[in-house]
Amino acid sequence: MNAALAVAGWELRGAVRSRVVLGAALTFGAICLGVTLLGLDALRGLGLAGVGPAAAGLVNLGVLVPPLLGLLLGAASLAGARERGLLAMVAAQPISRPAIVLGTFLGLAGALWTTVALGFGLASLVLAGVARVQDLAPLGALVGATLAVGSAGLAVGVGISAFARGRGQATALALAVWFVLALGMDLALAGLAPAVRLGPEGLLVAVLLNPLEAGRILALLAASAGGTALGPFGAFLLDRFGAGGAAALLVGGIVVWTALPLVLAGRALARRVV
Amino acid sequence: MPEPTPVLVTEGLAKAFGRHAVLDGISLRVDPGEIVVISGGNGAGKSTLLRCLAGLLPFEGRARVGGLEVDGRPDVRRLVGYVPQAVQLPEHATVGEVLAFFARLRGVRPEVPDLPEGFLPAAERPIGICSGGQRQRVALAVALLGDPRLLLLDEPVANLDEGGRDAFWETLRGRARAGAAALVATPTPADLIGVADRAVVLADGRVVHDGAMDGPHVVALGRRRGTPEPRASDLGEDEEEAEA
Repeated sequence: MNAALAVAGWELRGAVRSRVVLGAALTFGAICLGVTLLGLDALRGLGLAGVGPAAAGLVNLGVLVPPLLGLLLGAASLAGARERGLLAMVAAQPISRPAIVLGTFLGLAGALWTTVALGFGLASLVLAGVARVQDLAPLGALVGATLAVGSAGLAVGVGISAFARGRGQATALALAVWFVLALGMDLALAGLAPAVRLGPEGLLVAVLLNPLEAGRILALLAASAGGTALGPFGAFLLDRFGAGGAAALLVGGIVVWTALPLVLAGRALARRVV
Repeated sequence: MPEPTPVLVTEGLAKAFGRHAVLDGISLRVDPGEIVVISGGNGAGKSTLLRCLAGLLPFEGRARVGGLEVDGRPDVRRLVGYVPQAVQLPEHATVGEVLAFFARLRGVRPEVPDLPEGFLPAAERPIGICSGGQRQRVALAVALLGDPRLLLLDEPVANLDEGGRDAFWETLRGRARAGAAALVATPTPADLIGVADRAVVLADGRVVHDGAMDGPHVVALGRRRGTPEPRASDLGEDEEEAEA
């Protein structure tokens, strides 16, 4: 574990010093700020109180941008180190391959979480003026869901990196995966649902097969008491599993999306040429 | 006198990439204190052999370092220091941070006290502003961390100036006197006359010479341009005979 933590510290330091992560953090922060201000402006126009529309905008931002950043960071990690010969030097030390994968993930997760914290931190400075006590839990759930789906994206990126032949291939695959998860599955579902008569159970399976969607549902469940923001599907989830059970199910789905790629990456790295 | 326990033993070590055999039945024994040159032309299998022994590539056959099987488990790698042929250390890190990172992975202190003063750039110097030779020196220091019993060095002095080469060879000889062993891969084995004890020459993945540094296969591989002619005594020749 000590060796994995050493790798994590090394990766975190490298990522924080890299201009890419700094640029992503500033960009994400600026977008969060913009979405928040626009959402609050719409709110005032309707004469409403609270942070609702601003939070809704942040939900979509949170489940799309951090997973993309995580996928790209993860994809560049092992594949880049392999191309530079650094992975061979690290793998020649008394550290297991799964520990290299775990350390890489933990270090980059730290960098990703810093980016998310900066983005939401800027947004919360603005929201602090209008937020009510009852808004805190939904906002907390939003941050949690964002960190979770970002980590899942990162884990998938690290997995791709372990299997890919080079950094370029890994990055291309990571982008393809993001498009499928962010757009492709929604489009496919919208096209197929009427034809295959997908019921709420089928919809739940589809949600669990997509960590971005699971994160979105999780944040929206927390944001709207009674799952009203999710319509009949929200009602089904609360009726069948209860609020806690539904949240646990969705979190479980995201955890599987995080753990499985890391396990596969550890095995791949143990077998393949370093 | 009892035979010393070997640092490295390989038996029938073979490695193929797909259908292309790179190493074919390599059997070696390296004793404590031995510095062995692994040589051969381009594609002979030198780097692949070192990578197998460093635990980076799975292979067929057997290899043991200090009595431990090289089978992918991390423990045996504690006994091995490895420098790959080409490595790009991260530019954001300083020399001290690189040494500290690898020392932490090995569970040792980030110091290489037997390297002469001035061999390494200053600890606070970022890798990004180090020259190629200075970066190579850092990679060599990483391999020496924690006094490994077996050093696997793939063209270790390729980027070093003459002073750096001499200093590193002297350090390596000191390690050998203390009981460590080293495999040094180079396409020009004559560069190590006076440093190495023995040469192993590979051709098409097989050992074609395992013995003295003056074997015909070694001589045929020549030396790096600009390096001095070997002395006759280094070649094991009678000096009078050589003069004649």
